[in-house]
Amino acid sequence: MQGYNLPGFLMINAYQFINIIYALLVLMILLFSFILCFTFYKRKIDRDKKIWQQDIAEMISQAIFQDDEEEESADISTRVKKLLKNLSFRNYMIDELIQTKKNLSGSSNGNIKKLYELLELDKDSFKRLLKPKWHFKARGIQELGVMEQIKYEKDIFKLANNENELVRNEMQCALVSFYGFSGLRFLDVTEYPISQWQQIQLLNNLNQVQPENFDDIKKWLQSSNESVVVFSLKLAALYNCYDVYNNVIDCLQRPGILVKTNALEYLKKMPQDGTSEHFVNHYTAENKSYNLSVIRALKDIGTEQEINFLLKKLHDNDDDIKAAAAKSLSCLHPLGISFLQTYLFADENPWKAIFLQITNERAA
Amino acid sequence: MTILVAEDDMIMLKTIEFRLKKDGHTVITSQDGREALRKIEEVSPELIITDIMMPFASGLEIVEAVKKREGKKIPVIVLSSMGQENVVLEAFQLGADDFITKPFSPNELSVRVKRYVQDFVQI
Repeated sequence: MQGYNLPGFLMINAYQFINIIYALLVLMILLFSFILCFTFYKRKIDRDKKIWQQDIAEMISQAIFQDDEEEESADISTRVKKLLKNLSFRNYMIDELIQTKKNLSGSSNGNIKKLYELLELDKDSFKRLLKPKWHFKARGIQELGVMEQIKYEKDIFKLANNENELVRNEMQCALVSFYGFSGLRFLDVTEYPISQWQQIQLLNNLNQVQPENFDDIKKWLQSSNESVVVFSLKLAALYNCYDVYNNVIDCLQRPGILVKTNALEYLKKMPQDGTSEHFVNHYTAENKSYNLSVIRALKDIGTEQEINFLLKKLHDNDDDIKAAAAKSLSCLHPLGISFLQTYLFADENPWKAIFLQITNERAA
Repeated sequence: MTILVAEDDMIMLKTIEFRLKKDGHTVITSQDGREALRKIEEVSPELIITDIMMPFASGLEIVEAVKKREGKKIPVIVLSSMGQENVVLEAFQLGADDFITKPFSPNELSVRVKRYVQDFVQI
């Protein structure tokens, strides 16, 4: 059979060429059929959702204003009862209930929760929680958390050390939504790090509940999980927990720079006699940003005892440290800002530039 | 009192409609901004409650159009979500009379509407 004039590895005969064309055609037909089926399916779901939306909107808006004494199942029509056998409808219903619960506050929320339980949608969410894939688990926990399904708390808590971060995050948020500050007991057992973002999320959720039960902070400040210590320090600073002062001082000795920085933030907010001395004693040459934080903190809470330390820092190799030390000295030094002019090297750079910057900042 | 409610989320729309009807108001609903603007011209409601984010025309466009309208002034309450403070400010600059942030209680909305009912009765 005659070969086509093609370079090296592309040399094929007519029979092979026809086969390739045939295979490509089959692939195209398959792909086209898949796209067609998917489009039909998507349209059907969208069409169904539009039809369901009316039923769901009617049912939820009625449930929101339902009085306690009214019969619970009075508003579930036969049509909706039939629809509830459809899994897609149930999933859509859950999504809509969650969205509505997020949009409304007050007694309406309680009625949305009641409707969710009445339709036994909690069982659907719980089934998701038991599925092996992480995204089902995370969604299931989120639904149970938003709908305040405390009865599933034990099953949710079991996921405290799930290998997937999003599952753990949802578990933590769910516990906080169930129990507020007491829900933080997952900090006792969590082995994985809690991301900075998740810590902000948790603090934001806690902001919406009554502050209580800070007894465990001392224990968490000694945790071997560094992120637990960091989160506890943030909590202690945010809620002015004065009684953990000594534990926070101990945190300055820990190796983690995030722990030290957050301990510093707490101590800056709630200083006691000798706090600035602790800062100086735990000043390390390891981390520039931490050192800068220490020197800057001394500006606010330092005493004349730290002047010698700061004068030494004027000779540091790093210009940022020099500048920070000069700024703190301008506040702590008995001569105040005038000390800058009396300083031996005041007319030489970088001090000249640093002092000029401080003077300008003060004037502004 | 005839109230026009513009909100693209059907459940929220129904909820607000249900609450206001319970209070004895006549409620006209719209799920998009363009339809809302058309109904305002047709019905001339005594109060407008509008969401900010809506298809075809936003709540801000509704506020602007209503406040530019000649004749009787129609008060507008804007529904906003958390974190939309800048948009709320813009709505006030355009002439919005009040705002409610989601999540809100339908009862709170009812109380706010009552304030406008009193003004309406006095007129």
